[in-house]
Amino acid sequence: MDLSLDDTQQLIQESARDFVRNACNRDVLLRLDRNPAETMSLLWPKIAELGWTGMAIPEQYGGTGNSMTDVAVLFEELGTGPVPGPLFSSAVLAAHILLQAASSAQKQAWLPAISSGERVFTLALTEAHYGWSPEQVRMAARQDGSSLSVSGTKVMVHDAIHATDLLVPVRIDGASAHSLLRVGARSKGVSIRALDGFLSAVSEVAFDDVRVSKDDIVGEPGAAWDAMQRALLRAVAVLCAYKVGGCRAVFGMSVEYSRERSQFGQAIGRFQRVQDHVIQIVNHLDSARWTTYEALYKVDSGLDAAASVHMAKSVASESYMRACDFAHEVHAGIGVVREYGLTLHTKMSRTLYHCLGSPKTHRRQLERELKLC
Amino acid sequence: MNFAIEDSPQQGAFRADVRTWLEKNTPAGIAHSADPCDMTLEQYRIRRSLGRRLGEMGWLYPTLPKQYGGGDLDAEKTVILYDEMARIGLSLPPYYDAGGRMGAPTILVWGTEEQKNRFLPPICRGEVRTWQLLTEPSAGSDLAGIKTTAIRDGDAYVVNGQKVFVGSSHGADQSWTIVVTDPKGERHKNLSWLMIPMDLPGISVVPMDLLATGGEGGSGSGVKNSVFFDNVRVPAQNLVGGENNGWKVATTHLEIEHGGMGRLADRRVVYEFLEFCRERHDGHAIADDPDARAELVEMFIEAEITRLFALRNHWLSHTGQPRSYEGAQYSLRRKLSGLDIASRMLRIAGPRVLSKDPRWGPLEGTVEYFQRDAITALHPGATTDIQRVIMARRIGVGRREREQAGTVR
Repeated sequence: MDLSLDDTQQLIQESARDFVRNACNRDVLLRLDRNPAETMSLLWPKIAELGWTGMAIPEQYGGTGNSMTDVAVLFEELGTGPVPGPLFSSAVLAAHILLQAASSAQKQAWLPAISSGERVFTLALTEAHYGWSPEQVRMAARQDGSSLSVSGTKVMVHDAIHATDLLVPVRIDGASAHSLLRVGARSKGVSIRALDGFLSAVSEVAFDDVRVSKDDIVGEPGAAWDAMQRALLRAVAVLCAYKVGGCRAVFGMSVEYSRERSQFGQAIGRFQRVQDHVIQIVNHLDSARWTTYEALYKVDSGLDAAASVHMAKSVASESYMRACDFAHEVHAGIGVVREYGLTLHTKMSRTLYHCLGSPKTHRRQLERELKLC
Repeated sequence: MNFAIEDSPQQGAFRADVRTWLEKNTPAGIAHSADPCDMTLEQYRIRRSLGRRLGEMGWLYPTLPKQYGGGDLDAEKTVILYDEMARIGLSLPPYYDAGGRMGAPTILVWGTEEQKNRFLPPICRGEVRTWQLLTEPSAGSDLAGIKTTAIRDGDAYVVNGQKVFVGSSHGADQSWTIVVTDPKGERHKNLSWLMIPMDLPGISVVPMDLLATGGEGGSGSGVKNSVFFDNVRVPAQNLVGGENNGWKVATTHLEIEHGGMGRLADRRVVYEFLEFCRERHDGHAIADDPDARAELVEMFIEAEITRLFALRNHWLSHTGQPRSYEGAQYSLRRKLSGLDIASRMLRIAGPRVLSKDPRWGPLEGTVEYFQRDAITALHPGATTDIQRVIMARRIGVGRREREQAGTVR
């Protein structure tokens, strides 16, 4: 048993902390919050230069082949920002879907470009009846001569505004099994519309008779879902680590505020009711942290990680949202002043709550893993 | 990171040794019914004899130094010992020994060399059983407000007063006791710790009738008692950590009591209950109901988070990492999740969980006992509210200076 970070992980943590402190400080985060499109010009070149776009990708495809725990250590720090951008969508989730699903020629063609940061992939899976289970993914494609024609709408697609390429699960010619297509984000017939509101970089992606070459069917037709599930089980825990970072940040903000804010002649943190909120935050933080890192440990060790991953996702999503809620109880008015920065987390905690499956979805899957049904 | 309780080759060999040893040395008839208050004298004696045999191996207090009778075992091997004991339904020590479990590490920090040599080996070898005596009728959460006095008189301290919620069934050999040695002294500067032999004249023990034991020590806690001291003369050499220095000594004791050492026992009843709900009876399983499954998953997650907090604390304490709020956090979690799990069991499986009837009560009364014990367990080792107070001080909520954790080796 050893729950410490190894030397590599400590170096990753240090450089990520430095990045969040400097390149991505609160002013930058607030600016990107107002104008998400600037993310790619302001942050992406630095992120690629630091090699983070290749961390989760094997060396043969231009990456550094780090463990998922290494990658998670990075994402925990990015979560403290919260640093926005498509790093998770492209360099972790999409990369692992391609590793699981793509042919070797496709991997050679696409993964090095993801690894260098030159191309940005994102998964466009969910549809009008939002959900991450196969029966909720119905978009159709039909064979038309030598190519496919795709029409339909994907909703709540993360980071599509930054993407060069979309990974789109569809059913070809009424098949029940899903196939996965790579579609250029700027292809004719693709329109990406960012959804305005209390969410961050989430879009509707509409497909209107988009022509897709058969070379862009990722791997074998009809074999996408299982491959995606395998990739999800690896990638989800990294997203959880990002939420752990978010919990950590709101915990730090709340402790600090409890010391400096004075009411009734004393620091508000001297009131036990206020203390209770902070304790709730740290309990959520640590619940998310240890379920997440145990899941990562299992993923990296080749153990059966499914139950731990489902638990971690369920706990981390709930924890990040609740931690923000309690932080708002501590902060009261100042907490909702956008410039203060807490609402960046509040919004992110909501945006990511359902991403890759809601807590309820993962608890259902945990029921199966525990052989309750 | 490595969360493995999986064994390296050496650890695997150690586990095999422990298992073989336990098979050979665990006497028949050691198990008592689900309610540890029902433990018979004979069952208690069997447990003590196993304790002495474990003590010979250095396994009764595996993390304490060998020179004092401990095992000098590292975190992994200690986990294996706890694991293997839990596998056969026992805790370590296999009987209530809170005064040893918390007193011995405290004496290791605060005792003189002479006291360590006198007190620790008999505890580690299982020759004596030790209770801890802290709470009084008017001093629970406010431990510094105790009233039991120990006044120096020649080569002895004369002890008078009453302690409550003490110990277990079938007596003890000695009591690790906090007392007031300076009744006129300033609060927190008037306390001391005494090791009191229980066969001294003037000590009487009266059982209390409680809902359950609330024993975090797992099996074998037994019934709690009131202990009365009436002019009991305790040798002055039994005062540990310096006269009127008892509050500092208490920080070490309480750090352990508040979960700082990390306990590794799983909440077995949860995993057994899951199995019970999977089983089919007359073609029906409780887990067939989707609402029940949802509750079972919540229950499982609660238990898993508690397990992970314990694992973290164990790792922190046995690798000498700095600790702050983690001990109290674990203790709070264990108490609240226990209550949560107990009420979920009632919702899931219905009123049968309230019965220990051999025909209708699930899991031979274990679940019924847990219904009572989860409630009782809210107070021992500090209430949930006190755990929150400790957490806030350690984190430094509302203050720049963070309270330090007590020294634990």
